[in-house]
Amino acid sequence: MAFTYKGYAGKYLRVDLTRGKTLELELPKEWARGYIGGSGMGARILYDEVPRNVGPLSPDNILIFATGPVTGTAYPPSGRYCVVTKAPLTGIWGEAHSGGYWGPELKYAGYDLIIIRGRAPRPMYLFIEDGKVELRGAKRLWGKNTAETTDAIEGELGRDVRVACIGMAGERLVKFACIINERSRAAGRTGVGAVMGSKRLKAVVVRGSGSIEVANFDRVWELTKEAHERYTGGEWGKASHDALYRFGTPGLVSWENEIGRLPTKGHRTGVFDRAADIGPEVFEREFIIHRRSCMNCRIQCKKVARVGRSGPYAGLITEGPEYETIVALGSNCLVSNFPAVMQVNQLCNLHGMDTISCGGAVSFAMECFERGALSERDIGFALGWGDGDAMVRLVGMMASREGVGDVLAEGIRAAAKRIGKGSGRWAIQVKGLEASGQDGRAHQSVGLTHAISVIGAAHLRALSSLDELDYRKTITERYGKARAAALGDRLSTKYKGMLVKDVEDLYAVVDALITCKYGTMWPPIFYFEDYAEILPAVTGVEEFGSVKELRIIAERIVNLKRAFNARLGLGRKDDTLPERMLKEPMPEGPAKGRVVDLKPMLDEYYRERGWDVRTGLQRRATLERFGLADVARDLKRVGALAK
Amino acid sequence: MPYVYCDPKLCTGCRACELVCVGFHERVFNPKIARIRVVRSEPASDITITCHQCEDPPCVKVCPAGAIRKLKSGLVEVIDARCVGCGVCAEACPFGAIWLHHERGKATKCDLCGGDPQCIKHCVPGALKLTAPEGVAIERRFAAAVRRAPERGG
Repeated sequence: MAFTYKGYAGKYLRVDLTRGKTLELELPKEWARGYIGGSGMGARILYDEVPRNVGPLSPDNILIFATGPVTGTAYPPSGRYCVVTKAPLTGIWGEAHSGGYWGPELKYAGYDLIIIRGRAPRPMYLFIEDGKVELRGAKRLWGKNTAETTDAIEGELGRDVRVACIGMAGERLVKFACIINERSRAAGRTGVGAVMGSKRLKAVVVRGSGSIEVANFDRVWELTKEAHERYTGGEWGKASHDALYRFGTPGLVSWENEIGRLPTKGHRTGVFDRAADIGPEVFEREFIIHRRSCMNCRIQCKKVARVGRSGPYAGLITEGPEYETIVALGSNCLVSNFPAVMQVNQLCNLHGMDTISCGGAVSFAMECFERGALSERDIGFALGWGDGDAMVRLVGMMASREGVGDVLAEGIRAAAKRIGKGSGRWAIQVKGLEASGQDGRAHQSVGLTHAISVIGAAHLRALSSLDELDYRKTITERYGKARAAALGDRLSTKYKGMLVKDVEDLYAVVDALITCKYGTMWPPIFYFEDYAEILPAVTGVEEFGSVKELRIIAERIVNLKRAFNARLGLGRKDDTLPERMLKEPMPEGPAKGRVVDLKPMLDEYYRERGWDVRTGLQRRATLERFGLADVARDLKRVGALAK
Repeated sequence: MPYVYCDPKLCTGCRACELVCVGFHERVFNPKIARIRVVRSEPASDITITCHQCEDPPCVKVCPAGAIRKLKSGLVEVIDARCVGCGVCAEACPFGAIWLHHERGKATKCDLCGGDPQCIKHCVPGALKLTAPEGVAIERRFAAAVRRAPERGG
């Protein structure tokens, strides 16, 4: 029987690698109705199926690949999937998202999501094609990089399969290993690739020829055309599309430097005097050879870059690097050697490593070297700030876990414990996750974003561009005139608890649909109303047509993810930032003299959420309001419910 | 005869064309039955493939059932009722632009949406154009002329 709701494939897969068994099941209606899809559904599943004593790399941890109801339809930009698991890098809630072609293909193959548990007795890969599911041996793929793996599987199964796989880093359980699909798209953060490696699962390969039906085709068609117009025309749509099409995310380098928010030299400052060397103009002029896009996108931010004829990286071709990569491996390591950044970008693609955490580990090691916590003997060579060639060597050592690379491959929180000598002070991480390319001192709300993010210091869970770029008209429409001036000021902390809560809720819906954050994060032109239009048209679930209902679902998802961490003992003490952001004033630029004034924002955020301000724990009444009474009982049992 | 031409320098491989093609023709979403297909190859190429509406179409020539015809308007058209689903047209087409629909079992190809191709409207980078080979040649001539022109002024 066909699934009640449209848009969904209506089925999901359970794979037990230990026993070599796969099972096709009907998608529970309650998952769709209560959590929409994507990381929303993932939250329900992970919370229910991974109790707190399960280690991230144990066979009992599960790895979820999930899509949403909008995935694979013509409504843009919906070519995405997410991976949800208990994260090896942080030991808490883990989530990573990726674009490319893979997510839609899973749905065409007949499944909304896959839940993988166990550990294969020998390397395997999973092949899913139109309802046929097969575990195939991957012995000859083990040890191959992601491009070689993809080539080999395409050679075996045909060139139209979509391959998501791990490289050497995932196999060797590098704690920030990622999953790479179609050679260059990454489900990057929190070490999801290491979970795959721990399960001896080399790849998940999909090919499908099934159709996705929607509830109200004419309405979906109309909304697709309208979204196309809004993404490519209109005041902000056109400007951001043009910038992202032309430069990709590297376009942000010059802007962030201008507002003093470009993390530089291990977040010691927000201004990089050589930013132009790794900026958008030089990127376009000397490196971009082709412009690309993920599936069904109207923004098209992907670029293929080639390094010219001279220097050690001559002839290198790589997709990327993104803004985050340029910051993590460029400015934050004081490296202005753009080809070296591109070389590491390619190494990360081939070995399957998150570029943000990888860069975080390099800058941490550079500071260790500067301050004498790591010597030339410890590393094997000098690792001065700005030395791009040394950086390339170090990154190779991380992927293969060689020498000091083995220590850094554990992530900087663990590495700092191992190295000692006070190095924890310059390990720029939250909850064990290396910080993404923002700095709360120059953009206060992003300090709160980094502090409260359920995966650690990431930008994609709750970053607001409304204050970053002062979108005054939108701010006024959404939050009223009285608060608009303070909200539009990126250096003010006023109302930022409310703001971050609101964007976190919005992104919970976006990550459930799933669509890309271009259009919500930047430019901020899509909001709850828009999803209350497209969701019922796609699914036929009338209740999704109510903004109030979508907001309840959003808070349900946010609370459930939070509860996963609360059950592990996390609370207010963990919602904090590195000392550098809290105590060391920004030395220069427009935010000179600022630290992150976290406390008032955090207090307001907890109040807005209905959580206990002193402990950061959730209240029974709050959880019950979002239909999570079972979670309240659970938290009570382990002493993680607010008194 | 105009056809949907793709400029490979501009195509980003977003596949919006595939999805709107299928939406328009079938009212579902499924790129495997799109009449225009994106082919991505590494490290840096994306291009769409669809029917060129050839002047002397090999698919028409080889069809044993007489199910494909070249219309006066220039369009190459499949007559569903006559198609036996043998697939020789797919063998004959040098582009892979005609193939058998896996549900209907009939030869399937671009019909230019009756003259107003939807894919072009959704092509963000402007890679797709409705143009005849002569139109492509004109563009090429101008591009070649600019490349070969002696530098003047400045």
